[in-house]
Amino acid sequence: MRRELGMSAALVAMCLALFISNSDFLGQSNAINTLRQISMLGIYAIGSGFVIIAGGIDLSVGSVVGLTGVIIAKLSSQASGGLGHSLGLGVFVALAVALLIGLAQGLLITRLHLQPFIVTLAGMLVIRGISQTIVEGGTLSLGTSPLLRLANGGLFMHNGDPLLPYPLLMFLAVIAVGGYVLHYTVLGRYVYAIGGNREAAAYSGINVKRVETLTYVVSAGLAGVAGVCYAAYIGQMSQQVGVAYELYAIAAVVLGGCSLRGGEGTVLGIVIGSTMMRVIDNGINMFQIRYQDADGVPRLWRLNPNWTFVIVGAVILIAVVLDQVVHVVQDARRIRGEAQPHPPSPAPATPSLPPT
Amino acid sequence: MHGITKRFAGVTALADVSLTARAGEVLALMGENGAGKSTLIKILGGVQPADAGEIRIDGRAVLLDGVRAAKSLGIALIHQELMLAPNLDIAANIFLGGEGAGGPLGLLAPLPRAEMNRKAAALLARVGLDSPPTTPVGALTVGQRQMVEIARALSASARIIVMDEPTSSLSAQESARLFEVIRQLRTDGVGIIYISHRMEEVQLLADRVTVLRDGRHVGDLGRQEATTDKIVALMVGRELTGDYFPKKTAKGSEVITAGGPPLLEVKDLLVPGAPAGVSFQVRRGEILGFAGLVGAGRTELVETVFGVTPARAGTMTLGGQPFAPRRPRDAIRRGVCLAPEDRKRNGLVLPMSVAENSSLPNVGSYNRWGWLDRAAERRVAKAEVARLGIKTSSITTKVVTLSGGNQQKVVLGKWLAMSPKLLILDEPTRGIDVGARAEIYRQVAALAADGVAILMVSSDMEEVIGMSDRVVVMRERRVAGVLERAAFSQERIGALMTGAQKAEVSA
Repeated sequence: MRRELGMSAALVAMCLALFISNSDFLGQSNAINTLRQISMLGIYAIGSGFVIIAGGIDLSVGSVVGLTGVIIAKLSSQASGGLGHSLGLGVFVALAVALLIGLAQGLLITRLHLQPFIVTLAGMLVIRGISQTIVEGGTLSLGTSPLLRLANGGLFMHNGDPLLPYPLLMFLAVIAVGGYVLHYTVLGRYVYAIGGNREAAAYSGINVKRVETLTYVVSAGLAGVAGVCYAAYIGQMSQQVGVAYELYAIAAVVLGGCSLRGGEGTVLGIVIGSTMMRVIDNGINMFQIRYQDADGVPRLWRLNPNWTFVIVGAVILIAVVLDQVVHVVQDARRIRGEAQPHPPSPAPATPSLPPT
Repeated sequence: MHGITKRFAGVTALADVSLTARAGEVLALMGENGAGKSTLIKILGGVQPADAGEIRIDGRAVLLDGVRAAKSLGIALIHQELMLAPNLDIAANIFLGGEGAGGPLGLLAPLPRAEMNRKAAALLARVGLDSPPTTPVGALTVGQRQMVEIARALSASARIIVMDEPTSSLSAQESARLFEVIRQLRTDGVGIIYISHRMEEVQLLADRVTVLRDGRHVGDLGRQEATTDKIVALMVGRELTGDYFPKKTAKGSEVITAGGPPLLEVKDLLVPGAPAGVSFQVRRGEILGFAGLVGAGRTELVETVFGVTPARAGTMTLGGQPFAPRRPRDAIRRGVCLAPEDRKRNGLVLPMSVAENSSLPNVGSYNRWGWLDRAAERRVAKAEVARLGIKTSSITTKVVTLSGGNQQKVVLGKWLAMSPKLLILDEPTRGIDVGARAEIYRQVAALAADGVAILMVSSDMEEVIGMSDRVVVMRERRVAGVLERAAFSQERIGALMTGAQKAEVSA
């Protein structure tokens, strides 16, 4: 919990600094758009969190996000290239495909003892290629599909913006269900146990393979849900949608306090991590310093947006370095505590004389 | 358990072993390392299936085809390596796998946290651990974790509890508490199978003793007849084959009897985790054996001499000069080499070839204008293969395909190529067949005859007695005694190892 508190404090400080430098940061349109972005990242980051807490990794997330949108556009778009089926059918098929991808990857990993990194790396490439084939290298427009309202609409419209955009509502639902499953059910307990000590979990009679497979299904399923949102948000599906999103998800999950060794992390942490990622992204555009140049003319200094990746990378590094420092200090304290009952005595307990 | 047989890749780990545990009785299961105790209880716990044999509970034959099956039949295992998830709290570990996922919701059933914490608190009180059930296991000491394991066995209200060396990491106080728990369980009618190497514990607790040796059942002793002498005799009572070990050459023994200055002198060396400093010395040409049970601290000691884990305190001199290796590189530079216990993990790079492994510690010397001098590497490797009689189709064969004995020879070869002054062998013949063993013994004796000092950690009593000039017996990370060759006997070493006999130094 301490970790989440620290991250929240850092996040609040960051938002405050951004707001002071540029009050538009919390202006209606920017704030709501950032919330939308946080929500869409958070939905699939929580899925990745399941996999990572169980000690695995899922690199196919971004490709699943892309494929979901492409399938919806292909099946249900009235525009050219679309097959013109109903939107419901498109969404249903897309989500079913996402779940099947998760199941297939999970089964490959657990039944054939393949490394999750390799399986999902291959999955990432294969799925991306399928998207590319479906869009035939171009774009598929969703046209005027009612799906577009999913991203832009919401509850409590105010000056043309929804105060509660639909993606945020979906994110809140995923937080509630994901948090409940991970922290309050037997399944969640097993996910943590497998990440903490796989052997102990197996020796406790837990069906490790089934639980692990489930985490990949959850990950791909939530990537599918996020994919529906992105399709609605972007409207034009190309093969580029979702590229590198798995890395954003992993970064958010790690920022939020999950260890890639597994067994650590919370849904709240992932939510904070996702928020941080998007606030940094947005902040790089918003941050500005007012100053007067030598001639007394008021000017604005802004961050070079080319620095985005440098800053995101640096923030992740700083977070894990701080985390490691805390771990080392804790371990040292524990070892000292353990040594206490048996203080080392310099004298050997039994005489050992040199031989005659 | 009746007629249990288990084979691993051609090696028979258990041959027709039978064992009977009765309700309200503590059965001590004893045997040397590798006698098959762990395999036997893994079969009982449903972790591994038996190849043959039958297990009956209450007279009914049962099928133990998994941990769950064994659990539901009331069998609880307390493993020697603690099987806990450090990221979860005490209560979560105690009830792991038994949270009640059987209901209509299956895995999505809510965790009964409050109930688990309440029950865990009661169990912790029984085992005398006064940490709240919400403490993460990672924050506990090893002894406390052991108590959590025991609480877990109690939680399953097991009818048979198997404890594999439960006191190996407990303090005297914690052990006493555990014995109380065991006595209480016995009164409650639980059958307990207690594995331990410590004679005093067995004498204190056991109603009967079953002894295994080399995967065979060699004896059952009742409480009255289970004297330390009898148990040790059954545990180690092999016929020694005299000519299996090379005779000491005149040259070697001369060096020793001449009483030359010690090559390595270790004074009060404090190995991290040990309760006290250790002192010993070894001369050129001498083979110093280290006997003791698993966990006696021998591997940790030689790893400190080799610089893997730097010493906390104490001094070492090598050839009269101060010697304080902080990493293996320091030791290797001074001519100290270690053939590690786990050769597949620490001794060899398995997917690399014989020649590449041989040159590994010294690959810098094959540098020619920045290129690796493959020809020189091959020449040296060929010489080692010939010298040690390594059976390999070629020096480019990957070591992963070699037999254990030949792998060990490659480890020896890589060090011999560097002409060591002090060679440390940690369990040099573990898992190696008889023929390769004799060959390794011959090589080690030849090295000693050439004046190399040798430290040999071994859990094989025959090997220690057959090879060593002197033996340091360790127990619980201390030196329990040092024996001269004339004073060697299986019984004396065995008694020192298990603490049946108080410290002794032969004169």
